[in-house]
Amino acid sequence: MDKSKVIDAQEFFTVDAELEWIARAKQGDQQAFHCLYENYHRRIYSLCWRMLADKESAEDVCQEVFVQLWQKINDFRGESKFSTWLHSVATNIVLGHLRKHKNWLQRVFSIEDHTVKDISVEMEELPELDKHIMRLPERARLVFVLFAVEGYRHEEIANMLGMAVGSSKAQYHRAKGLLQQWVTL
Amino acid sequence: MNTQDSKETLQQQLAQLPKEMAPERELWPGIEKAIQYKSQISTSVNTNKPVIPMAWAASLVAAVLLTWGVIKPQQEQLNAPISLVSAMQQDFEQQKNTMLVSFGQPKLSALPLEMQKQLAELLSARQAIEKALVDDPNSSDLLNILRWTQKQELELIKQLYSPQWQTI
Repeated sequence: MDKSKVIDAQEFFTVDAELEWIARAKQGDQQAFHCLYENYHRRIYSLCWRMLADKESAEDVCQEVFVQLWQKINDFRGESKFSTWLHSVATNIVLGHLRKHKNWLQRVFSIEDHTVKDISVEMEELPELDKHIMRLPERARLVFVLFAVEGYRHEEIANMLGMAVGSSKAQYHRAKGLLQQWVTL
Repeated sequence: MNTQDSKETLQQQLAQLPKEMAPERELWPGIEKAIQYKSQISTSVNTNKPVIPMAWAASLVAAVLLTWGVIKPQQEQLNAPISLVSAMQQDFEQQKNTMLVSFGQPKLSALPLEMQKQLAELLSARQAIEKALVDDPNSSDLLNILRWTQKQELELIKQLYSPQWQTI
């Protein structure tokens, strides 16, 4: 049997099932929505974890993403892949969360939080690179995760983070430089 | 290790980065609770439409006019995306009005000063939370405090006016 055809058939099945879940969730079917949650929550959680560098916040924000998804699912028109749309919804919610929880000192002086809190216990299970990503300064981390892990373009990142395209590129190079040093230690 | 090696190491680790991570805490029950609460609110908004009185021809005309005046804004409201805060406020006002009607629409100003003060404090807390929610309508902390404050206000009214003496 041609293996590639089997994989294609499985993909079709998943896409078909997903379209049905979306349609049913739009009608208010919570069971279908639960299927979408089961399919995507680990991916959304990893995005939240990497962007927030805090396990508890990541769990809370991941929940918020799905609660808001329930309200916004009718906005999904199928113009892009559902996963792409969901990731952009989630990214915006995470960024909104970060903006809300910045303290007044950081807001007024636009300073970054360089001191990463002790998350060594939380990070035990993480791959080496993730542990290094968590140590990056906030803006460098956000740009790196969005560009290198999530695949956004610098123009999109600049737009999301309210910075110049050049700054996004500079933050990416900063993050990359630091990570290159750390991975070889 | 030279720069080229460290670049390659980073690329390799990046390629192996897992796309998925499992949260430690079970997240679905909280999500389910939140979406069920929202669904309940929209259902209660949908089912609370006015009933047209059918008894007399004259009152029918008045009732039709009255119903038109009430339903139209409600439908407009239903067509617009309803926010959780306004849904909670509507639900709370409905519960409060129903409760006050069941107690014979008592005058709150006739209560002892201490009780009026308690009610006023809860009202002012609720208004402050609602004001904060205007800036941050999706804050789960604020929504929880709002729900708690609304519940306290309802419980206080219930305590103040429940005809407990009738059961003696």
